[in-house]
Amino acid sequence: MSKNNGKGDQYENQFPQPAEKQTLSEMIYNPSKGTIFGRTGKSWGQLFLFYAIFYIVLGILFTICMQVMLSTMDNHQPKWKLDESLIGTNPGLGFRPLSEQTERGSVIEYDRKKPAEYEYYISLVDEFLKDYNHTEGRKMKHCDFKQNHNDNEVCVVNIDNFGPCTAANGYGYKTGEPCIFLKLNKIFGWVPDFYESAINGMPADLQELINATSVDERQQIWVSCNGHLSKDKEHFHNISYYPSQGFPAYYYPYLNQPGYLSPLVAVQLHAPPKGKMLDVECRAWAKNIIYSGSLRDRKGSVTFQILLD
Amino acid sequence: MALRSDYESQLERADSYRVATVIATDDDNRTADGHFKSRRKMPAKAAKKENLDDLKQELDIDHHKISPEEMYQRFQTHPENGLSHAKAKENLERDGPNALTPPKQTPEWVKFCKNLFGGFAMLLWIGAILCFVAYSIQATTSEEPSDDNLYLGIVLSAVVIVTGIFSYYQESKSSKIMESFKNMVPQFATVIREGEKLTLRAEDLVLGDVVEVKFGDRIPADIRIIEARNFKVDNSSLTGESEPQSRGSEFTHENPLETKNLAFFSTNAVEGTAKGVVISCGDHTVMGRIAGLASGLDTGETPIAKEIHHFIHLITGVAVFLGVTFFVIAFILGYHWLDAVIFLIGIIVANVPEGLLATVTVCLTLTAKRMASKNCLVKNLEAVETLGSTSTICSDKTGTLTQNRMTVAHMWFDNQIIEADTTEDQSGVQYDRTSPGFKALSRIATLCNRAEFKGGQDGVPILKKEVSGDASEAALLKCMELALGDVMNIRKRNRKIAEVPFNSTNKYQVSIHENEDPNDPRHLLVMKGAPERILERCSTIFINGKEKVLDEEMKEAFNNAYMELGGLGERVLGFCDFMLPSDKYPTGFKYNTDEINFPIDNLRFVGLMSMIDPPRAAVPDAVAKCRSAGIKVIMVTGDHPITAKAIAKSVGIISEGNETIEDIAQRLNIPVSEVNPREAKAAVVHGAELRDVSDEQLDEILRYHTEIVFARTSPQQKLIIVEGCQRMGAIVAVTGDGVNDSPALKKADIGVAMGIAGSDVSKQAADMILLDDNFASIVTGVEEGRLIFDNLKKSIAYTLTSNIPEISPFLAFILCDIPLPLGTVTILCIDLGTDMIPAISLAYEGPEADIMKRRPRNPDVDNLVNERLISMAYGQIGMIQAAAGFFVYFVIMAENGFLPMKLFGIRKMWDSKAVNDLTDSYGQEWTYRDRKTLEYTCHTAFFISIVVVQWADLIICKTRRNSIFHQGMRNWALNFGLVFETVLAAFLSYCPGMDKGLRMYPLKLVWWFPAIPFMLAIFVYDETRRFYLRRNPGGWLEQETYY
Repeated sequence: MSKNNGKGDQYENQFPQPAEKQTLSEMIYNPSKGTIFGRTGKSWGQLFLFYAIFYIVLGILFTICMQVMLSTMDNHQPKWKLDESLIGTNPGLGFRPLSEQTERGSVIEYDRKKPAEYEYYISLVDEFLKDYNHTEGRKMKHCDFKQNHNDNEVCVVNIDNFGPCTAANGYGYKTGEPCIFLKLNKIFGWVPDFYESAINGMPADLQELINATSVDERQQIWVSCNGHLSKDKEHFHNISYYPSQGFPAYYYPYLNQPGYLSPLVAVQLHAPPKGKMLDVECRAWAKNIIYSGSLRDRKGSVTFQILLD
Repeated sequence: MALRSDYESQLERADSYRVATVIATDDDNRTADGHFKSRRKMPAKAAKKENLDDLKQELDIDHHKISPEEMYQRFQTHPENGLSHAKAKENLERDGPNALTPPKQTPEWVKFCKNLFGGFAMLLWIGAILCFVAYSIQATTSEEPSDDNLYLGIVLSAVVIVTGIFSYYQESKSSKIMESFKNMVPQFATVIREGEKLTLRAEDLVLGDVVEVKFGDRIPADIRIIEARNFKVDNSSLTGESEPQSRGSEFTHENPLETKNLAFFSTNAVEGTAKGVVISCGDHTVMGRIAGLASGLDTGETPIAKEIHHFIHLITGVAVFLGVTFFVIAFILGYHWLDAVIFLIGIIVANVPEGLLATVTVCLTLTAKRMASKNCLVKNLEAVETLGSTSTICSDKTGTLTQNRMTVAHMWFDNQIIEADTTEDQSGVQYDRTSPGFKALSRIATLCNRAEFKGGQDGVPILKKEVSGDASEAALLKCMELALGDVMNIRKRNRKIAEVPFNSTNKYQVSIHENEDPNDPRHLLVMKGAPERILERCSTIFINGKEKVLDEEMKEAFNNAYMELGGLGERVLGFCDFMLPSDKYPTGFKYNTDEINFPIDNLRFVGLMSMIDPPRAAVPDAVAKCRSAGIKVIMVTGDHPITAKAIAKSVGIISEGNETIEDIAQRLNIPVSEVNPREAKAAVVHGAELRDVSDEQLDEILRYHTEIVFARTSPQQKLIIVEGCQRMGAIVAVTGDGVNDSPALKKADIGVAMGIAGSDVSKQAADMILLDDNFASIVTGVEEGRLIFDNLKKSIAYTLTSNIPEISPFLAFILCDIPLPLGTVTILCIDLGTDMIPAISLAYEGPEADIMKRRPRNPDVDNLVNERLISMAYGQIGMIQAAAGFFVYFVIMAENGFLPMKLFGIRKMWDSKAVNDLTDSYGQEWTYRDRKTLEYTCHTAFFISIVVVQWADLIICKTRRNSIFHQGMRNWALNFGLVFETVLAAFLSYCPGMDKGLRMYPLKLVWWFPAIPFMLAIFVYDETRRFYLRRNPGGWLEQETYY
């Protein structure tokens, strides 16, 4: 239709041309027009070429931008530090063993009678302590509170000081007295401000400990663990901290020094309740560590659960 | 008989209408389809459909046939005393009020639900339900469930409900326009009940009431006239006949619409008075039935609604496809099924342009407002665009193309034709008003004229003044008032002594006046009437101030002038006068008008005047615009072919130099049958021919003639023509004002009713109302409709572009195991926040080129959203935007410690609450809280970068072909949009408390900048693309990227 009786080029009174109806198979391949999905091979080729060039150019632009950005990065220190960075100045705590299967969450759960279950945790701790074991070739020094500490020096974390929490002992997992290793999160350039005397709000045993510690050795970020909720607190007793109940000052600040290892505190639970989930909360004590125990906004602390059968 | 009932059962509503109102033809008791239409003897089972039953009732009417006494008895009424009050009350209770039932409305709650569950809403509801499901599962299985999903579910539901309410509100606002027409001044009727004259509201009339009507009244119900004095009704709104019809008490025709003793509801009485008995009320009146049938016609979707559905299907298809694909991929990759569900939610939210439908509604509303200010009132919001897609306009003649008032167009005196000024503002040529010939002619036209201006119109221009009296006399009155000044004063000075009014047997009108000149005691006889009859009565002719004998030569000259004026489609009147000798007819002579005692032969012929309803000034220009816009303008009128053709020619519907078959035959001097119909571009089709035409033949007429005039058409033929055009694939606009037009208005893709002359029923059936009844306003409508279609494309292109930077983070999250770069809440902030105002502002964008120079879009091929638009928005600009977003993401991650390579595969640890010490590239360890802050900061930055690249996108979407440097930045709404989205983005990022509410964190100023290279890239890329588009029209680039 649509050819009016006038000159063919005069479109003005033509009725619109309806779209051609086509079957599904014609849509996929139309032999009369040689089209596949409505385009000929050549047309597809052109389109493909166009997009190929387009994306290559876009890729180049993106790469250039990334390169420029990466060239502004330092290999040793992050661009933004402490308050300028989103990491802030309030380190949290971490614990091990932590399963890499994230769906297990922060639960340490095993049956003492099933070696496969506790061996799993032992292997996790082994894996974690590997760096601490193999210190060959690292320039490290044994530090103590009396020495002057140079920021560039790396202090040794001696795994022999963890008391019964040794590989030989299976870190207490075999015997039902599991050791949990606590560490303070590394924040580049963060310097702790220590509590050199006990304050109100600290657990009584920690206050006692601080008072019992010599003034020199009070340069520590204290650590305390307790049952998270009151029901947990009832069952939470008889624990020990190794090598001490804190992270000594000489490990700080963290400046991405080669070979730097986080100081650790091993917490051994001598009598965890059997067959009952024990929710433990550990927190770090320093003047510049703000604590928040809320579920959504946890600061300066960590929680984990222990369930022994 | 059997054949007939088969046929009837096949009838659709539209056909039933045709059967219902076959009236304009001589009643041979057959319908236009050739079937017998009296159904009185038909078996009742013949028709199944209810409306066909209605129809039968109409044809069953015998109220006009029975004797008056039988009728009084039937209605238990009395011609003098009317009904008793008790009976009237009883009837009112039985039949209900005498008013048309408004067309059935969709219940409000159904409309509301449609808005709540239509379009994308379903998809979002699914998203919201998935959120609640995910939350409840988390809540039952985990001790400390994250309430993210609950929160998102609530937000999604709120979004759906709010946008639903918004669309509903917009819709109901535009439908309220109609209510202004509904609440008209109540009509009153004078009724006789129990012998007392009462004035009642027309609604309270009942069957059998005796009513009195006088000129100027609207007939309050269908009545049978029992007494009439010079009574005339204007049936034009019902039948399309423009001449007033005289009505009396005698039964003259089988057909109720033809017989003289019926007057119909809502027609107007123009002259005289009458008394009648109400024979049907409300919906049972002829008018009510047509209105009911029209509202039953199925109109189908508007073109823009089709486009929007097409678009929704497209986007929903993509969303479901991507969602399901990644749901499956997530399973294969070993994600927990709950995670997979959450991915699904994210993909749905990212894919659905939540704000777009609201944007479209607002854009249409804005255009509707703009059109209303240009005298196009849009009843149905979607009809805004329909006019832009229109490829055929079937226009009424009277009132739409013409001024709807008779005007003197030509005069013939002194043996020459003088053109009078017919323009609305008297800007046309002026003629010599001092010649004796004109003076004589004007004296007759002034004196032999009963028309008078109605009172109280002092400030009104002469041409616009209302006149009581016949249209031709009104035309003469106005013409004389313009030429001579105060006509009433002239009449006073030449007091009328006697008068014989016009009647159809004499075809003349005579009056005798005293002479103005006090020294001349003679009386003046003036006469006007059908030219040939006037000429017969004359023996002399007044030429150039001298009275000459009317010889054959002069008769020839008269004939030529008469033919010429008649050929212009004008109504011609002849004028003659005679000075009665004072000896025979002295002052005080008693003239007897019944037995004429004065000479009415051997008079002095003076001249001719011809009248036409002239075209409106703006119409020829508007028709030309329609033609250059590729719109076929078809005239459909009830008027005579000659008049129709003359008007068609003068307004350009038949363009200069185009001939009809008849013209060709005349030129070549061959019979019409020998002309090849394809040679004639123009056609004037008479309604009588159309009656015998099959659908195929009609198609041929429509196809092979570019310029068509349908004359003498009946309303049902109008419907057939509309259907014919629609069969050809055209989108048809129909203008009309009468009730009889309402089925065609309803059937058309867009019905345009007249705001001034239009009947309520036609306004009800139409989608648009021209407030000034002017065809030229339709052109503005077309222009606005096309502009909004273009601008909606731009708006959608703009909105869809940001879908890619919204979806891609989810895909990267699943496939590359990186922390999520953009969250669902931020996506909603873009779709419903920053993108909204800029997208709406594109509705204010001016046209790029003359949109009235291109042909109407082909609704089958030129879609609102086509693959080119998707290719541009998703494949090209969207990809650049996504690159910008990811770049910002990597910058922030890297600057805080996570170099890009560290991020891949980190997702599980990142999102695990148990991991409180995640190591970055510099050995720093991040608590869950800190790295979530980092992640949300990345979301914010990604969001900001989308805003930044959307600046460029908005600017490039302003034009589809032109350079922005050509188009300029004069769209201040859009400029405001740019500022607005930026301020809103900054507010969302920096306002305190946003970290808690929306998880938006303040950004460092430098994090606004990484997107800028990409913003520039978008701008430069698209300017370049459009440069080549303009350089190579029709080239590959245009075929692939011009949307």
